[in-house]
Amino acid sequence: METQENTTQQELSGNNMIEMIKVSRSYPPDIHALSDISFHVETGEMFFLIGRSGAGKTTLLKLICNMEMPSNGLIEVAGYNINNLKGKDLALLRQRIGVAYQDFKLLNDRTVAENIAIAMEVSYKKPRAIKQRVRDLLDQLQLSSKHDLLTGELSRGEQQRVALARSVANSPRLILVDEPTGNLDSTTTEKVMDLLTRSNKAGATVVIATHDASIYQNSNNRILELREGMLHSLIRGNEI
Amino acid sequence: MNFWFAVIRQTGRNLRQTWSSQFMTFLTVSLSVLIFAFFSLIYTNMLGAGDRLTDDLSLIVYLQEEPGLAMKEQLRRKILAFDEVEELRFVSRTEAYERFAKQLGKDSDVLLDMPTDFLPASIEIVPLRSLRGYSQIKLFSEYLSSLPGTEKVQYGQEWIERFYHFVRLLTIVVVLSGTLLILTATFMVAYTIRLTILGRQDELELLKLVGATTSYIQTPFLIEGILQGLLGSIIGLLALYGLFQWISTRFTGPGILNFFQFDFFSPFILIAIVVASISLCALGSYTSIRKFLLI
Repeated sequence: METQENTTQQELSGNNMIEMIKVSRSYPPDIHALSDISFHVETGEMFFLIGRSGAGKTTLLKLICNMEMPSNGLIEVAGYNINNLKGKDLALLRQRIGVAYQDFKLLNDRTVAENIAIAMEVSYKKPRAIKQRVRDLLDQLQLSSKHDLLTGELSRGEQQRVALARSVANSPRLILVDEPTGNLDSTTTEKVMDLLTRSNKAGATVVIATHDASIYQNSNNRILELREGMLHSLIRGNEI
Repeated sequence: MNFWFAVIRQTGRNLRQTWSSQFMTFLTVSLSVLIFAFFSLIYTNMLGAGDRLTDDLSLIVYLQEEPGLAMKEQLRRKILAFDEVEELRFVSRTEAYERFAKQLGKDSDVLLDMPTDFLPASIEIVPLRSLRGYSQIKLFSEYLSSLPGTEKVQYGQEWIERFYHFVRLLTIVVVLSGTLLILTATFMVAYTIRLTILGRQDELELLKLVGATTSYIQTPFLIEGILQGLLGSIIGLLALYGLFQWISTRFTGPGILNFFQFDFFSPFILIAIVVASISLCALGSYTSIRKFLLI
């Protein structure tokens, strides 16, 4: 397993973390969520996906993490055609991808700490290391007092931060975040962006889907705008 | 943290979260093992008793007349033509009279007025051990009845017939109850695992998304099935042993159980029951995993 993990890490250190060529996604009967999307995200880049609700941002993130299959086109993550991966290979790659979903996907009958720990347990991290990492993350996101609370008892803003903490917990090489600041005030938004920036500086590629202009304006990061499922523009933040 | 540590912890979590349905399944498995093992125990003891009964089995062929030497030889040849026997002995009328008188002991005076040849001559046959099944004895007896000069053949037909019919009935009960209980236990385990899987779809989906391997997700369910089989069979057998002890102490003395020499299962049979129970419960669990755990 160690060898396989090393291989994955080697692959993850390639030039492009994400490569999409002419990717489309349709739903029956005739809904085109994404049409002919082509772009790449470099390793170590912080990349923004923007667009109005229904533009296709969430669908694009789901395609990248193989939650959904494209109707057409090629998606490569860390050099792998992600749609060809199966079983253990897919599981190992997913361990290196952290995802904060728009609907959080938290287990409401588990505590905050247990929810965050899940991401590390599946890659067999030591219990002591898991505990320490969970405490650090909760501290960074100002959730230390919620450690033993069930996630079902938290506010939406707190749940959002727990989902974000879980996505970065396993120190993944690719972090996909869907609307990370949707339910947060400006101070907490800053904390969340700090955490994502720190992960990015530590080497992780970060893709953020958002319609909150305050977090990408005036940055030097690339921004891809989607409109009605099609690529509208690909510019840098400070070009807006 | 290694794979097994993680999997065992996950199993513990599953059991804690679904303890009530797990407990019901455990009870079902225990009861199934107890009922099936109970009938099996009676059955095996009956078979043992049957063996002991046939240990002293002999057939007596009463003859119409006292056979001469040539006739004796002819009868011997005819009998051995059917099959080998362990012992074959001719009893003359006089010999029969003397034996009877001896059996009467002090009361042998009653025979004083009787002629010494009033009892019929007979042949006593002890069949081979391999030829002591009910149907074989019956066949042999029919064959002996057809021999010339035979008056009657006796071997305790009624008693043996009733005993073998009882054993046959017991065989049907054991096979039927065994089949039904095996199906019940397997179905219950499969159903419980299915409920657990369906009740935890969100968690299983999340585990898949964060990179849990198939074996990481599946193994705890398989372990649950194995635990159900192991604990269920052990408790079922312990309960049976308690029942056995109770019967043994309650019914000691000159009773039918003494005659049957009621024995408990050998260690080999006990292990076989536990292994069978584990295998069946694991099978039930596995079928649910294959059918409902879509990963």
